[in-house]
Amino acid sequence: MMPKFAWIFSILLPGLGQLVLGQVQRGVFALSGFLTSIALAYWRFSLLAPRETTLIGVLRRSLERRPGFTSFVLLLIALFWILGILDTLKLAHPGPGKKVRGLLSFFFTLSLLLFVLGWQISEIDVSRMVKDFNKAMTPLNRVLWPWKAAVTRDTRVLSARAEILEGEGTPPGKPVSKPGQPYVYAEPTVGIASKLDEKGQPVPGTIITLHGSGFEPNTKTDIWWEDPIGSRFQVRIGGEYLTVITDAEGKFSVQLPIPYSIIPPGAVKGPLIHYAEAQQIFPVGPLKPSTPFLEIVSRMVETIVMGLMATVLGILFAIPLSFLAARNIMHGSWIGMSIYYLMRFIMNVVRSIEPIIWAVIAVVWVGLGPFAGVIALTIHSIASLGKLYSEAIEGIDHGPIEAVQATGATKLQTIMFAVIPQMVSPFISFSIYRWDINVRMSTIIGMVGGGGVGFVLLQYVRLLDYQAAGIAVWFIAVTVAVLDYVSAEIRERMI
Amino acid sequence: MLEVQHLTKVYPDGTVALKDVSFSVQDGEFLVVIGLSGAGKSTLLRCINRLIEPSGGKILWNGIDVTEADPKSLRKIRRDFGMVFQQFNLVHRLSVQMNVLAGRLGYVSPTKSLLYRFNEEDYRLAEEALRKVGLLEMAYKRARELSGGQQQRVGIARALMQQPKVILADEPVASLDPVLAHSILGYLEQLNKEEGITVICSLHYLDLVQRYASRVIGLRGGQLVYEGSREDIRRMTDDQFKEVYGEEAERIAPPSLAGGTNDA
Ligand SMILES: Nc1ncnc2c1ncn2[C@@H]1O[C@H](COP(=O)(O)OP(=O)(O)OP(=O)(O)O)[C@@H](O)[C@H]1O
Ligand SMILES: [Mg+2]
Repeated sequence: MMPKFAWIFSILLPGLGQLVLGQVQRGVFALSGFLTSIALAYWRFSLLAPRETTLIGVLRRSLERRPGFTSFVLLLIALFWILGILDTLKLAHPGPGKKVRGLLSFFFTLSLLLFVLGWQISEIDVSRMVKDFNKAMTPLNRVLWPWKAAVTRDTRVLSARAEILEGEGTPPGKPVSKPGQPYVYAEPTVGIASKLDEKGQPVPGTIITLHGSGFEPNTKTDIWWEDPIGSRFQVRIGGEYLTVITDAEGKFSVQLPIPYSIIPPGAVKGPLIHYAEAQQIFPVGPLKPSTPFLEIVSRMVETIVMGLMATVLGILFAIPLSFLAARNIMHGSWIGMSIYYLMRFIMNVVRSIEPIIWAVIAVVWVGLGPFAGVIALTIHSIASLGKLYSEAIEGIDHGPIEAVQATGATKLQTIMFAVIPQMVSPFISFSIYRWDINVRMSTIIGMVGGGGVGFVLLQYVRLLDYQAAGIAVWFIAVTVAVLDYVSAEIRERMI
Repeated sequence: MLEVQHLTKVYPDGTVALKDVSFSVQDGEFLVVIGLSGAGKSTLLRCINRLIEPSGGKILWNGIDVTEADPKSLRKIRRDFGMVFQQFNLVHRLSVQMNVLAGRLGYVSPTKSLLYRFNEEDYRLAEEALRKVGLLEMAYKRARELSGGQQQRVGIARALMQQPKVILADEPVASLDPVLAHSILGYLEQLNKEEGITVICSLHYLDLVQRYASRVIGLRGGQLVYEGSREDIRRMTDDQFKEVYGEEAERIAPPSLAGGTNDA
């Protein structure tokens, strides 16, 4: 009579009826899937309705805020519940001679429910992705083709400055002009600086006019300012840098308010003298690598060396340890087997912690820089190589050992002639594979302060210098590709 | 002369692989050991040069007790026993020449050989041994590049490098096809006849046993259950053979093809 009434259990909770029918896997799967979705749904609903305390309140509020999502989820839960009952009925009454088969839609509904919840939890927003795609274009373009920033040229500067007095006093006189030299003077040469009022709104200062001559004709000219405490900045008006183009005779005039500057009280004795400066910059000489380019190249070298050092150190430590972790070496005694299990355990734990996490620890330990990266990669390499090596040792063929022993060889001779030759191939292969991994890892390990190119890459991204970041990305990509090829080649040749 | 007296082997897991086995082998014999799988043939052959440590009994080699030998004299004793294996047991990564030279390890200075260096004389011997098995042109190939039959010939060359008095061959042809089986056993027979090297060899197929053995011993469950001369074994029918050997026994090929149960 149980099978007949199993559907009643499914009314109580999806999955229960299936359990009663002895369909344990199906029942457990449905029940756990159902409980998971209920929990996830409640979590997301209550996030939408933070102030509500009752279930009804939460549901009402989240229906208001996200009607589509909320109603769809509720609908699917109800559908799943109903299909669970139908599934139980179908399982309890299989057609004559047919295999017992439940409803496929039952599980499909559950999958759909979890997918909808997953979509909302991970905040997937396709419309935003499409709408804001243009925002990504600028950085993307710079990253994809960053080479303009890879080169630079020396510059020649043409500049001249004029004195301006802030406040009251005798106006400074016109600067003396020298023939053949650029020249500027200000009008008036005295005034008040821009300020912020009590509400923090800018109040423009005295408008002055800068007159320049003796500059390169028809050329963009930047206006710079130096305040009485010596800080120098390029003048902006409404957020844009103030520039002016010289006329055919190399002359210009431009108006600007005396800019705002913070001068701590008592920092300047005597009159507050500002300087306005006009400046033209001309690239001269051949192209040469830019500072970021050189920085990235040297960091890339650092990265590759880090990977190499970690690999070499890893190999040196892993070889002796791998013997302790090889069953066929350690078996026989109680102590041996305990060491074997302990080594295996430690290696598995260390290996399961990602190098990037080891790097975080190493940075705390020895400070920022490549040494931290080397420590992180070495620790992880020892554990991984130790495991791979020990498996290679366990896999050696006993036959050749026996054959060499039979010739009257000593223990050492047997090791040289029968054990080591069998281990060379896997050792080389695993070591190169590890070198490959280590260089890859060291490119990103810098992001947590472990030195190398990752370090500067992250720095450029933070400074929004996407071209420099792009150069780093290119270098990493090319290095990894070359390494891939080289390590595959070496492995093929050596083995 | 090799005398095996009351030899017993019990493995650590309690398996009794040999139980009170006694027999002796005269110099120049071609002794074939037969027996079912698991009868203890491999164990017996490996006890003779102590690749496996016997648990009881004595093995006398020209009057010296092998079971009592210290490491130094064991090294000397092992040089007298060349060994050939079913799986050839070559070191795949090393060259054929180096595999053959490994046969000299019982003679050369232990330290020098650790760097894979040998004397001129050893190289000359290796060349000679390879010529004997017809593989001189393969000397610089890696061992794993050779076919099964070629590998077993390298195995024989390696055993020859020991200038052995006895060759222990554990199913030397079980991994080879019938034609190669005759070729390999032919080499062993040649060494036995021409150089007077004693051969102790385990074999599976009746016709090979009849063709090559000068004497046969049979093992069953670790015990010696049969001993027969060349004549005894040649008179044997398949049914009698099966009685010793068990139901698995078979001929390598129909007798007409196997060739020469009666040519000497
Ligand atoms: N290392 C070992 N530890 C425990 N038992 C072993 C070991 N080696 C062999 N034996 C057992 O000892 C018995 C004899 O084995 P052995 O290998 O000598 O037989 P065999 O006659 O050579 O068989 P085959 O024809 O299959 O090679 C078998 O029961 C086998 O399972
Ligand atoms: Mg065997």
